[in-house]
Amino acid sequence: MQKTIQSHPFHLVEPSPWPLAASLALLTTTLSGVMYFNNYANGGLLLTLGLISTVLSMSLWFRDIIIEGTFQGSHTSKVQQGLTLGFILFVISEVFFFISLFWAFFHSALSPTVELGCMWPPAGIQVMNPWEVPLLNTVLLLSSGATVTLAHHGLIQGNRKFTIYGLIATIILAILFTGFQGFEYINAPFTIADSVYGSTFYFTTGFHGFHVLIGTIFIAVGLYRVINYHFTDFHHVGLEAAIIYWHFVDIVWLLVFIFFYYWGS
Amino acid sequence: MSDIEIKTTPFDARFPNTNQSKHCWQSYSDYFKCINARGEDFAPCKDFKKAYQSLCPADWVGKWDEQREEGTLPFKVTV
Repeated sequence: MQKTIQSHPFHLVEPSPWPLAASLALLTTTLSGVMYFNNYANGGLLLTLGLISTVLSMSLWFRDIIIEGTFQGSHTSKVQQGLTLGFILFVISEVFFFISLFWAFFHSALSPTVELGCMWPPAGIQVMNPWEVPLLNTVLLLSSGATVTLAHHGLIQGNRKFTIYGLIATIILAILFTGFQGFEYINAPFTIADSVYGSTFYFTTGFHGFHVLIGTIFIAVGLYRVINYHFTDFHHVGLEAAIIYWHFVDIVWLLVFIFFYYWGS
Repeated sequence: MSDIEIKTTPFDARFPNTNQSKHCWQSYSDYFKCINARGEDFAPCKDFKKAYQSLCPADWVGKWDEQREEGTLPFKVTV
């Protein structure tokens, strides 16, 4: 807790175990992942432990940030701006990750090799009809972008009920999207092993789906905090970050829909 | 001996680079589309055949011929 007055608006954090814990957890996860893929003994067990400890370290770290900001008053405007900027830079790094996935797709799809018969989709691949479930999923995500914006405006205007309903609607739409994607995955006519088409398709849609899951949890945490009065009408960086992440997920889906589902068929 | 004509596939601006794999594939594909559309004796198809015979590795031609017989050619050469 603060015992002295500081002559600057920044937050000099107290010593914390979470950065080291998170990096050890990530080290365990990555090394054990390699062990698991190469059938070393206990690879799977260590991988599970690594993933659990990663999630735990992150949760406890974020919990501390919430305590410092919401309950101890350390998040001045300057600190809020810093957190927002840092989060935007993180989202930009995620954008670059998706750029790599799209690059891989275009590398193979724009000039299909002789081995594929110079055709895209390759002969024998039964593509999914973009105007069935994928179109529905597009509508679901676009709508969730609208509901989350409405919820945000509700928060800014001090309308508690509206905010909560908006966030619940967003989460429901997100869960529907994930459910439909799962259904598509189970009933797909091709697998990840079906040539480079399957690889690029499942890598990109798979990582996108993983980001949807993370975004959903992020928004759910925001909902929990709204219900428990953590936020004010103008101080809610955690929720704003969740909303930025959600819009990013939505835009990536639009690109996936246009290039993988529509153009790629 | 000087009356023997020796030549190779002429330059095709669609394939300007050293890697002529696509040129090989295109010639093979065009030859069979040509004879499927115009008949085996249609003379202009001959140029495509000469092109793929000089450009393509024998393995590729052999593999595609086999696939044509089995009906598993991964690209269309009909219509």
